[in-house]
Amino acid sequence: MTSPSDFYGQTSSGEVTGHAYAAQSSTRVNARLVRDGAGVRLLADNGDVLYAGSPTSREHVSGGPILMRFGEDWTFDTDDVKGANLLLGPSSDSWLSNLEVWHPRLIAVLALCCLGVFAVWQWGLGLLVAVAIALTPAALVSSMDTGNMAAMDRLFADPTELSQTDQIMVRDVFENIKAHAPDAPYGDYTLLFRKADQIGPNAFALPGGTVVVTDALVEEFGDPDILAGILGHELAHVSERHSLHQLYRSLSIYVLVALVAGDVGPILEDVLLEGSALASLAYSREHEASADIIGVKTAFAAGYDPAALADFFEALSHDHGDGGPEWRSTHPSNADRIETIKKLAAEQ
Amino acid sequence: MDTRDTFQVQFKGDAQTYFGIWIVNLMLSIVTLGIYSAWAKVRTKKYFAQNTTIDGRRFDYHATGKQILIGRVIVVAALILYSVLSAIPVVGIILALGFIGVGPYLINRSLKFNARMTSFSGLRFGFDGTFWHALKVFLLYPVLCLFTLYLAWPFVARAQQRYYVKNHRYGTAQFDFESGVGPFYKALVFAAFWAVGVVIAITAVFFGPALAAGQLFGEDSIWVTSDLMTVVPVLIIVIAVLPAGFIYRAYIRNAVYAAASVQGGHEFTSTVKPLALVGIAITNALAVMLSLGLMLPWTHVRMSRYLARNTYITVNGTLDAFVGAQEEEVSALGDAFTDFEGIDVDFAL
Repeated sequence: MTSPSDFYGQTSSGEVTGHAYAAQSSTRVNARLVRDGAGVRLLADNGDVLYAGSPTSREHVSGGPILMRFGEDWTFDTDDVKGANLLLGPSSDSWLSNLEVWHPRLIAVLALCCLGVFAVWQWGLGLLVAVAIALTPAALVSSMDTGNMAAMDRLFADPTELSQTDQIMVRDVFENIKAHAPDAPYGDYTLLFRKADQIGPNAFALPGGTVVVTDALVEEFGDPDILAGILGHELAHVSERHSLHQLYRSLSIYVLVALVAGDVGPILEDVLLEGSALASLAYSREHEASADIIGVKTAFAAGYDPAALADFFEALSHDHGDGGPEWRSTHPSNADRIETIKKLAAEQ
Repeated sequence: MDTRDTFQVQFKGDAQTYFGIWIVNLMLSIVTLGIYSAWAKVRTKKYFAQNTTIDGRRFDYHATGKQILIGRVIVVAALILYSVLSAIPVVGIILALGFIGVGPYLINRSLKFNARMTSFSGLRFGFDGTFWHALKVFLLYPVLCLFTLYLAWPFVARAQQRYYVKNHRYGTAQFDFESGVGPFYKALVFAAFWAVGVVIAITAVFFGPALAAGQLFGEDSIWVTSDLMTVVPVLIIVIAVLPAGFIYRAYIRNAVYAAASVQGGHEFTSTVKPLALVGIAITNALAVMLSLGLMLPWTHVRMSRYLARNTYITVNGTLDAFVGAQEEEVSALGDAFTDFEGIDVDFAL
């Protein structure tokens, strides 16, 4: 870079022409910025001194004029960017204007964009999610459980119709699994029974540690070994904070995309959102796979047959099919899960 | 003075310069995890404003990156709180209702901020809309319109445009808006004609032969034997719905400019051609897609140039005579809100 003394004459004299505007008026005054023995002044065309002294501020966006402010009373703009810079010396943010010039170096800027997106995707999101989880109060997570249960009971879940013996059997398995599962991050694990035929044989965990088992699951798969595998899997979702990860991850993506939306335009914004939605499915499948692994280990540690979970998925595939291609699904394919579980079980 | 001069709006931005600004903005926004996007927005708006002139006088945009960033931080924090709390069902409903109440307030704040931050010929714009009026035109009227099966929509559209225009000021000079509802019906009818006409044409081309051959339904129906189920909806959106939207906007723009005036007898004219606008919009979208986004700056410049070229202002006397007044500060909170909700409140030029 050229040093100011080479180019920008603090010693030179000269002038640039432009327009001056008084505060609170649209009146355009033909004016010139003059530098001579008497210093820098803003002069009207008729010779009136509008302001004596250097501009109090100056700004320039590539391709635009130089805009100067002279105290509270006058602004002055000129298209003679070079002339003004020669007169006043380089401005402090000229590096930005220099970077923006149409030049092969912009290819490097473009490459940095792609690299940046990759880095944000790979590490940035994880960082944001970790910070958000650290900042989330435990009481909030527990109230998500209560709120969701209340909504479910109103919408599609009824009190359980399971016999006391069945309930006690499942509870025993649950207590055993709980004793060998990783610690619950937000309050204790609790087991609830619900009759919810709409969702079939099913079990799911809420972020605060509530695990719900449907009547249909106990009726169709009443085997303690299978239940142990399923409960181990659900507790793993809780201990690994999987649902919070997914919530914060999708929020972070939404916010980041919204921040650059003005710059990427509506078409690319859609591509980004759709693409990240697909990629989030991969993230969800990763969570399912990791819950399978932890669940199998927990079931084994609690003294159950770890391979039983594979039987469950085989039965599920048989009854309900394997459902669509994997890349469009939140869960890994049953075939993959069966294979992984069998392999894990063999290793225990 | 009673001289009347008509000036064409000039836009002298070029795609090369804007490309540099755009790609550097994007790069800095990405590497700062979105923080720089506030300054990026300011730089982009300055570029477009400063390169738009009437009679050699510039527009300008005066918000600072810091102002925009503070607004955005507050909105993002509220958004995160909102999504986390929405997971608690009852709270979610209360929040959604509160959101409806706050919406018009924030839209007003955003309009006010953008007007205050925009200047022309060294003098700032202003906006003075009230909460109840905004609630009426943005929420109440559209909901009531539902009961007319949207046949009364042009009245709602006119009320919104009138609210927008009439509450703007240039310095202390008030904008005015005087229009019958006719032009608004015209916009809707022409847009609807296009959409319906194209849908009929598509149906005839794709399903006519099948209908003649009796293959529309049954074992060997074209639904089963071809990809029409995926192709036809896309075609309908691309050549029926999207162009209809631009046709509508072109007529509305011309109607609003014809209806608007500024105190002192200054008037506006917009001569946008609906089909030309459709052509530009569609080729722009294609250019963005085929260039993986790299042509985006070119498309923005091209659209701005077309709109400027078709906008005129007829000045009664001189543009020198406007004055301003001291005004209170406005924060960028509403602006950040409309950015995130994708609501477009830019001063229409």
